[in-house]
Amino acid sequence: MAAVLTAPLAAGLAAGFTAGPVVGPALVWVALLGPALCALAVLLLRRRAVVLVADVVASSVVLLCGGALLAGVADGGAAVVTAGGLLRVDPLAGYLLVVVGAVALTATWGGLSPGRARSRRGGRYTTLVCLFLAAMVLAVVADDLGVTWVAVEGTTITTAFLVGFAGGRRAVEAAWKYVVLASVGVGIAFLGLVLLYAATRAAGDPTLSWVRLVTDRPAVDPTVARMGLLLAALGFATKAGLAPMHAWLPDAHSQAPAPVSGLMSGVLLAVAFGAVLRIQRLDAVLLDGAAVRTLLLVGGLLSLLVAAVLVVTQRDLKRMLAYSSIEHMGLVAVAAAVGNRLALAAMLVHLLVHGLAKASTFVMAGRVLAVEGTTAIADVHGLVRSAPRIGIPFLAGAVTLLGLPPSGLFLTEAALVVAGLRSGYGWAMAIVLVLLLVVFVGMGRAVIAMTLGAPAPAGSSEPAAAATEALSAPLAPVALALAAACLLALATPLAGTLDSVVAVIGGAP
Amino acid sequence: MSGVRLGLLTVLGLALVAAVAGGALGTAARQRVSPLLGALVGAAAVWTGALAWSGGTGRVVVGTVLPGVTAAYAPDRLGGAFLVLVGGVTVLASVWAFDGARGTAASRTAWVAYPLFVLGLLGVMAAADVVAFLLAWEVMAVASAVLVLADHARRPEVVGAGLWYAGMTQLSFLLVLGGFAVLASAAGGTGWSDLARLAPDAGATGAGVGLLLLGFVTKAGAVPVHVWLPRAHPEAPSHVSALMSAAMVKAGVYGVLLVVVRLLPAGPSWWGLALLVVGSASAVFGILQAGVAADLKRLLAYSTTENVGLILVAVGAAQVTTARGDVETGHVLLVAALLLTFGHAAAKSVLFLTAGSVLHATGLRDLDRLGGLGRTMPWTCGAFGVAALGAAGLPVTAGFVAEWTLLQALVHAGGPADPRLGLVSALAVTVVALTAGLALMTFTKAFGIAFLGRPRSDGAAAAHEVGRAERLAAAVGALAVLGLGLVPGPMATAAVRALGVDGVTAAGTTLAAGVRLGGVAPAPGSAGEAASGTAALVPVLDPLALGLAALAALVVVAGVVARLRRRAPRRAVELGWGCGGARVSPRMQYTATSYAEPLVRIFDAPLGVSRSVATTTADAPYVVRAMSFRQRVRDVFEEHGYRPLLRAAARVGDAGRALHNGSVHRYLAWSFATFVVVLGLAAR
Amino acid sequence: MSSGDASQAVALLAGLELLTAVLLAWRGPASSPRGPLAVQGFALAGLVAVIGVAEGEPVLWLVALLVGVLKGVVLPTLVVRRPSRAAGPAAPPAADRPATVRPVVRPAVVRGRSRVPLLLGAAGLVVVAYLAARPVTRVVTGATGQALPVGFALVLVGFALLATGRRSQSQLVGFLVLDNGIATTAFLATGGVPLVVELGVSLDVLLVVLVLQVLGSRIDTAFGAGAPGGTDLDQLRELHD
Repeated sequence: MAAVLTAPLAAGLAAGFTAGPVVGPALVWVALLGPALCALAVLLLRRRAVVLVADVVASSVVLLCGGALLAGVADGGAAVVTAGGLLRVDPLAGYLLVVVGAVALTATWGGLSPGRARSRRGGRYTTLVCLFLAAMVLAVVADDLGVTWVAVEGTTITTAFLVGFAGGRRAVEAAWKYVVLASVGVGIAFLGLVLLYAATRAAGDPTLSWVRLVTDRPAVDPTVARMGLLLAALGFATKAGLAPMHAWLPDAHSQAPAPVSGLMSGVLLAVAFGAVLRIQRLDAVLLDGAAVRTLLLVGGLLSLLVAAVLVVTQRDLKRMLAYSSIEHMGLVAVAAAVGNRLALAAMLVHLLVHGLAKASTFVMAGRVLAVEGTTAIADVHGLVRSAPRIGIPFLAGAVTLLGLPPSGLFLTEAALVVAGLRSGYGWAMAIVLVLLLVVFVGMGRAVIAMTLGAPAPAGSSEPAAAATEALSAPLAPVALALAAACLLALATPLAGTLDSVVAVIGGAP
Repeated sequence: MSGVRLGLLTVLGLALVAAVAGGALGTAARQRVSPLLGALVGAAAVWTGALAWSGGTGRVVVGTVLPGVTAAYAPDRLGGAFLVLVGGVTVLASVWAFDGARGTAASRTAWVAYPLFVLGLLGVMAAADVVAFLLAWEVMAVASAVLVLADHARRPEVVGAGLWYAGMTQLSFLLVLGGFAVLASAAGGTGWSDLARLAPDAGATGAGVGLLLLGFVTKAGAVPVHVWLPRAHPEAPSHVSALMSAAMVKAGVYGVLLVVVRLLPAGPSWWGLALLVVGSASAVFGILQAGVAADLKRLLAYSTTENVGLILVAVGAAQVTTARGDVETGHVLLVAALLLTFGHAAAKSVLFLTAGSVLHATGLRDLDRLGGLGRTMPWTCGAFGVAALGAAGLPVTAGFVAEWTLLQALVHAGGPADPRLGLVSALAVTVVALTAGLALMTFTKAFGIAFLGRPRSDGAAAAHEVGRAERLAAAVGALAVLGLGLVPGPMATAAVRALGVDGVTAAGTTLAAGVRLGGVAPAPGSAGEAASGTAALVPVLDPLALGLAALAALVVVAGVVARLRRRAPRRAVELGWGCGGARVSPRMQYTATSYAEPLVRIFDAPLGVSRSVATTTADAPYVVRAMSFRQRVRDVFEEHGYRPLLRAAARVGDAGRALHNGSVHRYLAWSFATFVVVLGLAAR
Repeated sequence: MSSGDASQAVALLAGLELLTAVLLAWRGPASSPRGPLAVQGFALAGLVAVIGVAEGEPVLWLVALLVGVLKGVVLPTLVVRRPSRAAGPAAPPAADRPATVRPVVRPAVVRGRSRVPLLLGAAGLVVVAYLAARPVTRVVTGATGQALPVGFALVLVGFALLATGRRSQSQLVGFLVLDNGIATTAFLATGGVPLVVELGVSLDVLLVVLVLQVLGSRIDTAFGAGAPGGTDLDQLRELHD
């Protein structure tokens, strides 16, 4: 959806882009402050309509700005720098902005709920979602790694109450675990950044600016720099959901409201992984790149293993989707570890497509919960027949996530395997293929059991208000996102853009 | 624009239009338009395939978002031959579907998936590089899974079949993906031309080819990775079963031929030996299971496993003989493999379509409750009979020509010069002979029980002939079976061309006139004999002459019978006691189960049979009120291979659940341990 | 202040931090963590001030003030404060809780729990910290290098406290020690990260502690425990596979 829908608009903005040096920085600020202003508007106005659509507006702003920025900085355009160098949008940042915007639009639009907007806590929900978006945008556009860290920690703070939003023992338990595990993990990243800063200081040029580190290549002490980079990567990997730092993820994703689960799964993981990618690039530039690569490879394979083992006999729908996120982040990490151009391009597409599909599936899972009153896999039957408006999109989303064509994940997974073998990771690819099969069978079995077959005999009870709302909720966001997740694989014109993004994070041919 | 390119684009466009039409049209319009569009796709594919088969070239390239990754479709001669095959079967299935696709088989989803399924199949045959192949392969898999699942809401077993199918087809895909990835990374490119440059003896090539062969035979439904086939084929709508059995499993065969014959013709002989072993096991096991099956479509499905087994035997033997230097015999074996493929496609599509007609007419698939359909459904009966002859490998059909060629070539492979090859081929001959015998029994059973005798149930008694479209499709298919059997010359010549083994004809395989296997047994006075100088060992067979002879024999027999009848006047016999013949009931007839009983007794162990007889007695133990007999035939591979594996996976999953026991302390301990380990390793 | 004085002051303050960390590990559940935490925070602030003097950077004075207020006063107070139910936004309705569940209150002093393994563990972690900090001490110039392992030790001990902390409050304490450890490392190894980052980080830490406090009180409400030091976290086992 991102690129396909906004391409003409982005092209128009890109034309204005070259006109003057004002447009680019302005777009960055709009992307950053737009969601924050939306949050402010909710707090100040407290009108129901504002509460209802503020997060959708914020996502659209991010998507539009991201698309325009990406079009401007890709294909040889210069990066946009503002705020005295603290903020900088290069093709990677632009791409991640598009991911944030597109996935957030899917999740928020699909998660529109007049019922929630009417409720007493609706305003708080929308405010926090907008602030969450702002934090993610900051994490993406910050050039200074310290600022990135602050923003990533900010995402934890803003989502803490969203995870616990439902109230009750389970939600508050999930929120506690999430905040403790995530902030400790990200704390490790800060220790890493401190060590990196110490290393650059010893080399005579104390800085945490990513672009300066990449271009100046200070002669840092290899051991200290390696410690710093490894710890930073490990810390950000916590938020990216890589095993064995992933333990917060299934709990948080299963308890958060469905749109928030979609946001966390589809974008937050990607944003955190964007930070990991920057660290990996630094490792390649300052050192030999072996350390972070090994970390990613081990973490990725471990994530796949954990996901495969826990999906096989999974009993809860939203936990299953959470483990599927761990699986996909594992694939992404393996692709980053492989690190050649094909693998990195596949990884980037994988991030976007997975985000779109996962957000859609979580949105649909939320409607399943509203209609069936449960997310226990064993208690849901024959959705395609009993509630086709929910069952069919849910099935489509799950199939997309499983990497079957026409899903874009099909192409990226195949490309990853080919690229991995080309770089000599045959053994890792063998493991990946086996685990992919296990995940496929485990998740496929659950999804088929829930969607196909004869529906359970319906109870005659009056449908709840939430169920009525879920049954009449718009399908357009999900349909658009899934269509984009499929068509993206064939969007040949974007290959050049992707190439320039890959160039940012390196990648030997 | 070349003809082939135009054809490929036409196929693509028509298939997409058909998919859109399937989704957009109303029920009544869909039932008329969708089959028509399907048939047009098939016809366009036949045209394109014929052009490519006769040497035309053309290329369609599909770009992707990944820089430098494109998918190119450019069928060569072999691909063209398979395009014709798939296209032909599609035309038959689509025509049949005008009347035959009903209910859930004609739903919106089904008519969207159907053209995409065909498109995927055609794409596999037309692909010119790894990406294109994999893309089409998986489109085919997904669309066919959707079709298998069409009737999910009414019959619970469909969901189980769909799950098995999805799992096995994904296994096949991942194996193929892994195999091609190994080859592509070793070759440094993804095009077929790149792969063809690989050294066949290299370790990476061996690993890649091993994975590929495993993936392809999974798709082809060979033992022991056949378990999806007897589940999915019966549950799919019949025209889809026909496509799956006649065309989709051939995608696996095509894959094998692509790797072993086209890309890496000089491979080591273990490739062929592996194929021989798998093929032999599939042939024997498949026909045994078919022999004892009582479900008509399940019988046909297992018979597909058998036929695929024979094809694999042919390809494997060809590979082995070629690798050991007997190139000419190898080439004849390859021709036999292609003849088998086409013969089976023609016969099996007719069989599944007519089985679908029987299902419509009676509502039954269970042979034990059919019977006497020959009178009520003469067209269907005739088509099924002809196709059954073909599937059993009896004369005047394509199956006979193919199996005979295979046997002749096997008999002559090796010889005194190469006793080890001779041993292998002797074993293969045994397998083929055993298979042929059992196939004969199987299809006499299928035809005899279903179409002859008296109806064994009300459903069978109430049967009526099916609609014109169904009859037309079955009749045309049956004619193809006969045509390929009576005039196999052009087909064989074309097969030679498709395989690129023209050297054989030069050496004397004068295939044009029939199955004159010159290379093996030159016809007296032929160029082949003159060239090679071998003595005339003349198992020359001309199917046309054979057909004429059979016809002549038939005329003679008919004459004699008519004469005898005239001579003996009709007599009315009044039986006093009746010898049991006075009260003939349909239950006195053989059933499918009882007919297969001897087979079950002999092959008890490999079939995994369990029976139980329950007797209900009245007051005294010797006054029997009723007896019930139950017999269950299991699939030993499923029972002893897959089930334990699945149970083990579930156990691992259950054990793995203990990992996430909910303790925040445990989770923090993981983080802490990871942190300390990484810190320690980094500070080294 | 000469460089010798500075390095002595740094060593002294760092030693004080380590001592408070061990005290926090040692303390029983009944004793309040506020005192040791405050001492640790002030020690850290003093450390920053000393470094500021030694390196002649007036901006570090400002930072020292910030650190002193935040880590010496605000955060320790927050940790021990029991937020009233009104502070926790929208406590879940009591109907959420099954009526049969009685608040589980563990004895304030865990009987028979020996402190020896704990201390041995802490000692082991300090050794690990010294080993891990060695490469960093090599590159750090000036008066602060020798004290650097203390930062690592605080991180490790804090992490261990966090991982073993039974109650919500002890996990918070562990988190603060961990954070102080990172800050100590930062000031000792680099003389402080850039100011804008420092401000952001301080704000984040403050917010995280606030969030955890609110969540802790919600847990107390939901799981029905009024025990000193918050709910026993072993009760949080409803989410599992």
